[in-house]
Amino acid sequence: MPEKITAYRFDYLDETLSQLNKEDCAIVAGGTDVMVLHKSGRGVPPKIPKPVVFIDHLSELKRVYQKDKDLHIGSCSTYGELLENPLIPIALKNAIKTIAAPAIRNRGTLGGNICNASPAGDTLPLLYVYNAKLLLRSVNGDRVVAISDFIQAPRRIGRNHNEILAEIILPSVLEEGSHVVFEKIGNRNADAIAKVSFAGYIRISNERIDDIRFAFGAVGPTMVRSIDIEKKLLGKPFPLSETDIDSIVADFDQIIRPIDDQRSTAVYRKTVALNLLRYFLNTSQYQPN
Amino acid sequence: METDAPPTARLLDLIREEFGLIGTKEGCGEGECGACSIFVNNSLQNSCLIPIGAIAGAEIQTIEGLMETEQFKILDESYSECGGVQCGYCIPGMVMASAALLSENPNPTDAEIREGISGNLCRCTGYNMIVDAVELAAKKGEVVCQKK
Ligand SMILES: Cc1cc2nc3c(=O)[nH]c(=O)nc-3n(C[C@H](O)[C@H](O)[C@H](O)COP(=O)(O)OP(=O)(O)OC[C@H]3O[C@@H](n4cnc5c(N)ncnc54)[C@H](O)[C@@H]3O)c2cc1C
Ligand code: FES
Ligand code: FES
Repeated sequence: MPEKITAYRFDYLDETLSQLNKEDCAIVAGGTDVMVLHKSGRGVPPKIPKPVVFIDHLSELKRVYQKDKDLHIGSCSTYGELLENPLIPIALKNAIKTIAAPAIRNRGTLGGNICNASPAGDTLPLLYVYNAKLLLRSVNGDRVVAISDFIQAPRRIGRNHNEILAEIILPSVLEEGSHVVFEKIGNRNADAIAKVSFAGYIRISNERIDDIRFAFGAVGPTMVRSIDIEKKLLGKPFPLSETDIDSIVADFDQIIRPIDDQRSTAVYRKTVALNLLRYFLNTSQYQPN
Repeated sequence: METDAPPTARLLDLIREEFGLIGTKEGCGEGECGACSIFVNNSLQNSCLIPIGAIAGAEIQTIEGLMETEQFKILDESYSECGGVQCGYCIPGMVMASAALLSENPNPTDAEIREGISGNLCRCTGYNMIVDAVELAAKKGEVVCQKK
């Protein structure tokens, strides 16, 4: 007989949180990362080392709504659901469309992409430039953290075992006037894991840079973003001068340290990343979206 | 249907081993080949990645269920006419993905067809015949939008 497996599937989030408070469990949302990570083979259930708690059926974790200018996205919204939702910004939809294939997008969730904390997670560069905040819920109440503080290393996040990621909050994202892009370099098929990805955000007012942010994926253990470098560009006249662009690219050259792996080489990754940055800074026509 | 299988068992194993529905295939077992594609509440998903506990109470349709529909007849004819079937291993999954696409988008472009079947690997055909088959099914179909 197979060994005993404990798994929970409650009707409400409250009950789920109570259980998590009593016991350290493996949370399963869509399961597209968990099932691959613990795969055991034909006819054998995956070997998940802790009691399992299923959450992706909880309607409380699937709501998407606007509150003031902020967008709140339920962590268990699947990619497929987000693509259909008119509140989701176009740039985020573009990033989602590069993820895997329809069947994976029908199961995989935004919360799963964040909590899996892969250096190649395709929604992450954008979530960093949106200054996404994460609402973590437990029996003790809610706590809000910045995504850049939550994701600590590949597969390591700042979650207490009694917490669930309930919502992803994109502050002021529904405000007019910013231009946001996402670029991903990878192979175009179901195994489209990014070799390098890039997200950029810019807002111009009176021909000067009012706000600018950029982040890279898959070139380090977590997303690479530097608020210090971004600050150097605030208030600069737009379009940027060649000298300003060169100096920003040179700054990034210092901080990006990609690795070689089976998908790509460090040199290739760095070259592509810096080209994507230069291209973004050079664009003189921005479409607010 | 009910089962005594553990809640973390893969839906794929339940379908093939417990229910004996062997039209659904296992290729990679990790979400990359689409051979195990089925519908969960009418949405195309990979049964190798689904722990059965996660979908308690959901409606599942496999290729065997699809075979009873008008949509399947059209797809089946179109695949044969276009030479879209060689060894056949990928075909149940490919047909599920084709059906899902046509149900949502009865008149897909070439690019939309390729995107619709992008999660399904085929070692034999080089995909062009399959894309032709889906295009033909769309033409024959017009009908094909009503999914059971
Ligand atoms: C074939 C294939 C192709 C893929 N392609 C891509 C791709 O192109 N780009 C990409 O970025 N990813 C890709 N992925 C990875 C995966 O699909 C995504 O990371 C997805 O978003 C994970 O979501 P999930 O709900 O399935 O996560 P799960 O597997 O359920 O969970 C992932 C991790 O997050 C934790 N978790 C999930 N939700 C919560 C929550 N609400 N609160 C606390 N913890 C939580 C789980 O405990 C687990 O550790 C691919 C996966 C496969 C199998
Ligand atoms: S067996 Fe499920 S996708 Fe390959
Ligand atoms: S026909 Fe052989 S794998 Fe597709």
